[in-house]
Amino acid sequence: MFDSFLFIGLPYVAIVFLLVGSIIRYKLRAFSYSSLSTQFLENRWLAWASLPWHFGITLILLGHVLAFACPGIWSALVSIPTFLTMVEALGILSSLLCLISLMVLLIRRFVDAKLQAVTSHLDVLVLLILFFQVFSGLMVALHHRWGAAWAPGALGPYIHSIFTFKPDASFVKEMPPFVKIHIASAWVLILLFPLTRLVHALALPFHYFFRSPQKVVWNNTRSQIRFEQRIESENERRLFLKAAFGTTASAALLSLGALDKFLGYFLKQDLTNAEEAHLLSKKLQRLKQSAEERELELERMSKDSIFVANLSDLSSAKGKYFIDYEMRPALAFRDGQGLPIVLSAKCTHLGCTVGQDVDNQGRILCPCHISYFDIKTGQPNTGAPAKAPLPHLGWVLKDSQGHELLAQDPDGRREGAINSSQLENSLLFIVKRFS
Amino acid sequence: MKIIISLFFLTVVFSTTVFAHPEFQRYSKSVSGRSVNCAMCHTHSDGPEGIKPDQIGSLSQEGLNALGLARQAYKPGWGGKSPILNEFGNLILNDLGKEKILMLKQKPELLAEALSKTSDLDDDGITDAQEYKDGTHPLNSMDGNPWKLFKNNLIKNRFHILMIILATGTGLFGLYNTILWLSIKTGKE
Amino acid sequence: MKDRKSKFLKLVTFLSERMPIQKLSFESMVTKKEVPVHRMSWAYYMGGLTLLFFLIQLGTGVFLLFYYQPTVSDAHASVEYITYFVNSGFLIRNLHTWSSSCMILCLLAHMITTFAMKAFARPREITWLSGTMLLILTFAFGFTGYLLPWHQIAVNATKVVLQSIEEAGHYLPGILSTLPSYIKEIIQGEASVGQATLSRFYALHVVILPLLFLATLGSHVLSVQLHGMSQGVDTPSKKAERFFPFFILKDFWLWGVAFLIVFILALCLPFESFYAYPLFEAYDALGSTPEGIKPEWYFYFLYYPLEILPFWMVMLGMTLSGIGLFLTPWIFKNTSRKALSIIALMITAYLIIITLFGQNIYDMFKGTTP
Repeated sequence: MFDSFLFIGLPYVAIVFLLVGSIIRYKLRAFSYSSLSTQFLENRWLAWASLPWHFGITLILLGHVLAFACPGIWSALVSIPTFLTMVEALGILSSLLCLISLMVLLIRRFVDAKLQAVTSHLDVLVLLILFFQVFSGLMVALHHRWGAAWAPGALGPYIHSIFTFKPDASFVKEMPPFVKIHIASAWVLILLFPLTRLVHALALPFHYFFRSPQKVVWNNTRSQIRFEQRIESENERRLFLKAAFGTTASAALLSLGALDKFLGYFLKQDLTNAEEAHLLSKKLQRLKQSAEERELELERMSKDSIFVANLSDLSSAKGKYFIDYEMRPALAFRDGQGLPIVLSAKCTHLGCTVGQDVDNQGRILCPCHISYFDIKTGQPNTGAPAKAPLPHLGWVLKDSQGHELLAQDPDGRREGAINSSQLENSLLFIVKRFS
Repeated sequence: MKIIISLFFLTVVFSTTVFAHPEFQRYSKSVSGRSVNCAMCHTHSDGPEGIKPDQIGSLSQEGLNALGLARQAYKPGWGGKSPILNEFGNLILNDLGKEKILMLKQKPELLAEALSKTSDLDDDGITDAQEYKDGTHPLNSMDGNPWKLFKNNLIKNRFHILMIILATGTGLFGLYNTILWLSIKTGKE
Repeated sequence: MKDRKSKFLKLVTFLSERMPIQKLSFESMVTKKEVPVHRMSWAYYMGGLTLLFFLIQLGTGVFLLFYYQPTVSDAHASVEYITYFVNSGFLIRNLHTWSSSCMILCLLAHMITTFAMKAFARPREITWLSGTMLLILTFAFGFTGYLLPWHQIAVNATKVVLQSIEEAGHYLPGILSTLPSYIKEIIQGEASVGQATLSRFYALHVVILPLLFLATLGSHVLSVQLHGMSQGVDTPSKKAERFFPFFILKDFWLWGVAFLIVFILALCLPFESFYAYPLFEAYDALGSTPEGIKPEWYFYFLYYPLEILPFWMVMLGMTLSGIGLFLTPWIFKNTSRKALSIIALMITAYLIIITLFGQNIYDMFKGTTP
């Protein structure tokens, strides 16, 4: 029952009274829309207290309004750890600033003689209510933490229900005492708003940023010069404010969106086991490939002859790749008579590796700039980008015991003899003496 | 030992239907204008035949067993993984079955229609069937028709793009006013 | 005696006019500096844009340095790791690639417009010379950086370019014919492109070229600041705006827009998607070469002529252009800006046509179907 009064009845009374009261007050006594500033009487303490109070409360109210007006976006933002840290840090700082400032504002009224004379009960009441409100908020933050995360979901619907005229206090009924106190006193504050000096909050000087500088013309030179200097410094101030706003907003956005990614670049990356295994196996493969290449190099440095293939495995349609003594790619074919054709596969144009498939004209193709090379002569076709022929390599046919049967040097001269049965079982080698 | 096993299996399996399918490669290349290699469907870019890692000649005993089973997957939905096919290749085998694939060899242009219209294995916003026609790799999210990729990524990253525009805009606004402020200050001296 | 003294005096006057160090004052460099306003004023921003992209390259390059491994067995895997596994790695890498292309584009625009505006005229000859050095260094950056990912197109394209250098030996007499091979071996470090090449290209790209670039850039920017912006058009413009704050504000706005464009491109459009994927597989020394090997687009203006025209013609053209580029301030000393604009337009037309349509022209000449 009491809950219904506090969280349904009171809000509507407060909102209606706020609207009606503020409008009536404006119509009847417009000039009473004043902050009732005591700056003329006491300037120093006011400056040190009023400015931090206003900064602090603006930030806090902004956070509250954003969270309740756009709970979806707020929740999405708050799920970013950097943003949440920023919000909580700013929140605590602001509330401490507000509390200290309010205390100073209150104390100065009792300490300064001039101020004592003009302080009324209403002034003190306003300060006390505000203090109570911020204090209760701080208690909520300290005792029921992560408010930035749970409040939009838990209390957002309540606020929404009030403003859509379907009030539902069930969300608030289950809340702990600190929260209920904070909410209830907020409604009280709203109720008392039109009766106090707080109406000055409705007259915000936004146009200050955009209005043209005001030019006053004095009819004495000294005042005119002093005035122009003041305008210049006001211009400076405006530019400085705009500059500070721009750079701070940009820095905030960047730290919000980019900073954790920037730092994340240097963190240990999260890989699943499967991904790590896959990467490692790829690296292992490449290492094995490098090891193989080194072995090939070593082989070519130390051995006098290197095995290419069994002659029976070679064909006249598809060449077999191997690496020659100069570590260049080379191809081995078998001609019509069953003898091997061995030539370099490094295209004489710009060095691409020539393809291994022989076309119906007995030529292999270099795919880079389309040169056809006849495998028997090594000559490129007329008009091909390659001008020089693919050099033939010297080869040796050995039997299974390692005796040399037939050898052909790079110029085509043959040594030795071989019969057809030996041919079928022979092994093709390249030899150092022909390189 | 490895060579002997691989040679044995090569001769055994060679007597069944041939596995490398250059018809699909040729079709993809002709319709897209991009050169593609066997790595689109197979685990090695030169195809399954050979002794390099990820080719038939270097498979272990269980790899060869798995390959044998895959060879018999004539109908769709066999549910296994062939060791010489990558994820896309295995998807085709599972969705269509070997019988259909051999039929499609004669009409490679129908492969794209036969594949699922929604499957996008690399999640780059372009379906696998479309990537086959575009000649881009269906398992590489960085590879795709540039304009389609651009459009899809633009939509995927719209929040970040908006934020960076805002950040740059406010930063420039701040810088602009800082410089004007500085110019007034230096002007006074 | 008198003759030698006057020659020395001439040298001193020459240098002091080209490097007016007395202008290194706050007043002349900041408060009183003005920029002419005329129809070519837009070109004054090109140099700054090039600098912006270079700074992006420096930044992203340092980031990439944290993960890249310059060995033939690990280079490709490390680049793949950056692209697919490091948080925001693909963005940094893509930004590096896109920004390199943008830098070269802006650099060419800057060079051609300064040529057309006759900004190399006295006393700005040293600015032009340092600029030409920067051009060469930038192309060297592009060439050395391209090899580092160690994929098929990287290694093969590098091989092709180095082979072309060796080809020049056929046209030189006697022992000079071995000189190109010697140069090629110095660049390569071993018999064919391999670990030695990768190591030295890495050293060049990451240390040597940046240091040289920064030193040359320092001299270039200093002389621009000392001399101020050139007049740009034949009849000096009556209008001029203050460098600080107006010109520099517009400059920074342009930087902001340019950065946003390249960032969004890097975030959403992988550079590699313009090429066939087999070109980016790990380089296999023992395997076949995939088709479509070509150098980067900013080398097309050299590559396609090499493919189409006789070698000697291209070499001759290159040598003449190279010498012409260095001696521009003296060759075109008395040329009007109107004539210079025509030359600049012709050069731009050639560069655009050969870069965009080079492949088509090549196919036309060779009768090959694409």
